[in-house]
Amino acid sequence: MFVETCIIFAAVISFCVLFAAPRNEWFFCGLGGSVSWMAYQFLKSKNVHFAFAVLGATVVLALLAKLFAILRRQPATIYLLPGIFPLVPGAGIYYTSYFLIMGDWERFSQMGVETFETAAAIALGIILVSALPDRKKS
Amino acid sequence: METIATKDVLTLSVALGESMLACGAEIYRVEETVQRILQTYELEDSHVYVISNGIFASSNVGGDGCSLIRSVPLGTIHLGKIAAMNQLARDLAARNCSVSEGWERLRQCQELPPPHKRMAVLCRGIGCSAFCLLFGGSMTDALCAGVIGMVLGLHMNWQERLSMARFAKCLFNSMLVTLLSFLPLWMGLAVSQDRVVISGIIPLFPGIAFTTSVRELFNSDYLSGVIHFVDALLTALCIAAGVGIVISLC
Repeated sequence: MFVETCIIFAAVISFCVLFAAPRNEWFFCGLGGSVSWMAYQFLKSKNVHFAFAVLGATVVLALLAKLFAILRRQPATIYLLPGIFPLVPGAGIYYTSYFLIMGDWERFSQMGVETFETAAAIALGIILVSALPDRKKS
Repeated sequence: METIATKDVLTLSVALGESMLACGAEIYRVEETVQRILQTYELEDSHVYVISNGIFASSNVGGDGCSLIRSVPLGTIHLGKIAAMNQLARDLAARNCSVSEGWERLRQCQELPPPHKRMAVLCRGIGCSAFCLLFGGSMTDALCAGVIGMVLGLHMNWQERLSMARFAKCLFNSMLVTLLSFLPLWMGLAVSQDRVVISGIIPLFPGIAFTTSVRELFNSDYLSGVIHFVDALLTALCIAAGVGIVISLC
């Protein structure tokens, strides 16, 4: 668990570099990504359906992003995009299109639905948090 | 208060919105930013419409009217620019920054450098090996994925100079990764090729574009959502096709 969290931290920070995030925010991006991954693992260990686990993890990440955005006066996207990378169904999209090309219809539809569920869960998580009232206009 | 022509304000705010959009800012955020600046300058009869690859805006105040259309090709994400331009937009909306100052600062934002080349290569390697470990790969797998990721990074740096269709680039990138993933097998290393391939190409995958598109659909930005969705789908198909071609050949 600890090792995995460290790996996520490193992965998220390396994506911060690829996305050219401001250097001072790298640590916070990594923190958000690791904490949301921990939430995901925790939910999964409680036998929650994977879509709900993703939803929970996204809500945690989006809340953290919002908190960092207020504390550090930056747009929340900066923390959201790199932090979401471990949750995003990249492998799912790959398998879906791979099975499509290989003509494996059964696994294609199964993987496709799963991928779409994950993406929808992430989107819903972000939207739920963005529905919370914003900070007061200064 | 100095009088400012509608055209000046509209051009600046749309130019700012255009840059934000090109760096991967969210649709509603761009729309809100442009609208807020226009409101600050009391351009009441203004309309802004933003989609993933274009901005349309018009403003008409007492006969002083102007309308703009901008085509914005889908670009690469640059969070540093988004942060800087966000600050600029806030200052403009709070009138802490005049229009001419705004142009100067927008130019500075646009000139922020892309990520350092060598650093990006290294980070791509780290990211790939981290993903390989998460997918349950062994240390050897992760090492191979990291090296492949770095080679891919170098190849992409070189590819930037070519004027090749984006989808052709995707195809070649994924073919390169799949081809490289056969090398450790031929050298007799015990790797699970499947995992190495996925972790090698994962940074290319439009996971974020896909998620963004679903978000936009929920946000009722249907057109933007569909554009990003189709873009993500085509990219994914090209990458998978590259993998499929090489695997069936080798």
